[in-house]
Amino acid sequence: MPVLRLPKFGKPVKYAYITGRVRAMKTKLIPHEMYQRMLGMDIPEITRYLEETQYKEEIDLMAKDHSGAELVEYATFANLAKTYKKLLRVSIDEPEFLILEYLRRWDIWNIKTILRGKFYGAGDEEIMKYLVPAGELDLEFLEGLAKKERIEEVIQAFDGTDYYEALTQYDGQMLSSVENALDKLYYFRMERAVGGTLSVGGGLLLKYVRKEIDVKNLVTLFRMNKAGIEAAVIHDNLLPGGKLHEEFSRMAGQSYNEFVRGLEGYPFWSAISDVVAEGGSVSRIEARLRAYLVRYAWALSNYHPLSILPVLGYIVSKETEVSNIRKIVRGKEAGLSAELIEEQVVA
Amino acid sequence: MVVENIVDGGILYGLIAVGAGLATGLAGIGAGVGEQGIGAAVVGVVAEEPGFLGKGLFLMLLPETLIIFGLAVSLILMFAWTPFA
Repeated sequence: MPVLRLPKFGKPVKYAYITGRVRAMKTKLIPHEMYQRMLGMDIPEITRYLEETQYKEEIDLMAKDHSGAELVEYATFANLAKTYKKLLRVSIDEPEFLILEYLRRWDIWNIKTILRGKFYGAGDEEIMKYLVPAGELDLEFLEGLAKKERIEEVIQAFDGTDYYEALTQYDGQMLSSVENALDKLYYFRMERAVGGTLSVGGGLLLKYVRKEIDVKNLVTLFRMNKAGIEAAVIHDNLLPGGKLHEEFSRMAGQSYNEFVRGLEGYPFWSAISDVVAEGGSVSRIEARLRAYLVRYAWALSNYHPLSILPVLGYIVSKETEVSNIRKIVRGKEAGLSAELIEEQVVA
Repeated sequence: MVVENIVDGGILYGLIAVGAGLATGLAGIGAGVGEQGIGAAVVGVVAEEPGFLGKGLFLMLLPETLIIFGLAVSLILMFAWTPFA
């Protein structure tokens, strides 16, 4: 395992440049009311609108090879990767270290994408379209992986890295155990990295990551409890490290009504209470929880304006924006009603 | 001896001159400490939004006003209140 090298710790002023920059970048994000208008547009109109925003360069570049929802999807992914890489490029020392540690989730995403692609026999071209090289692993390396013939070769390429141990859990039958192990590895590394920093923002970043794990586990519980899955199976799917892990473990396997009653009084309850009362779908609840997380990230950044937290807020908001645009165009392409798409959009 | 010097203005002159130097010097250091964060943040914002330069410069120069207080104290010490006058 590589030795963790920590940069020298600076005063909050080290964060002044990067926080100033992300606050300016935040003003360029698509405003929430625009999603409402996008719901009334068709895909070419949405594409034209996006060409007036920060996505222009990617859309212009990809328009010759792709069109429609595909064009928007690839362009937004490419822009997301470019934006995150830019954050890494313009930061130094502790901010860079923490941003990279947080962005390793995209390495996990890419590894999962490649494994899933290989598992279901997708072609390398197809896999490469869904790669987001926003983390440490660069596009060249990832494309090399995508071109490999078998899953075992992909796993072998990670020999000597942290990922190898998690990847060797692949039994040739199911990917879920590997995917779970990768998620656990990500959160373990995150905790270790943040534990090594001395700044207050690092602790709050960990607080956010714990909240994020809780939200992921909560969505898993909603899905699985609704489907009436056994407690033991649910336990296997819960990620460790969340603040409410023990409480959630107890809720696994409960009847849906009992489970929902048990959630009352938690901080996230006000964000989802009306949807749950209406008997709304899990994806609608998920969208509400995601919006709650974004608000939480920005609220945290108000406590410590000169810390990693505004950067975290921006990273989370940008990811949400891209996922919203993709939901809208994919929904439009599939012919879903505007109401149905709106439910999924995080606002 | 010391008393004589003070009456003559020897040590007193020296101390006043040192005080005047410290007043401007420390004010300058304080302003610099204040400006480092603001300056870095302004450069960050201007990199994204070049139109912010004017406002940013104004914000960056705010701590600079503190030096004027220091300078005023130095000038008073040197030329208004003291035997130098």
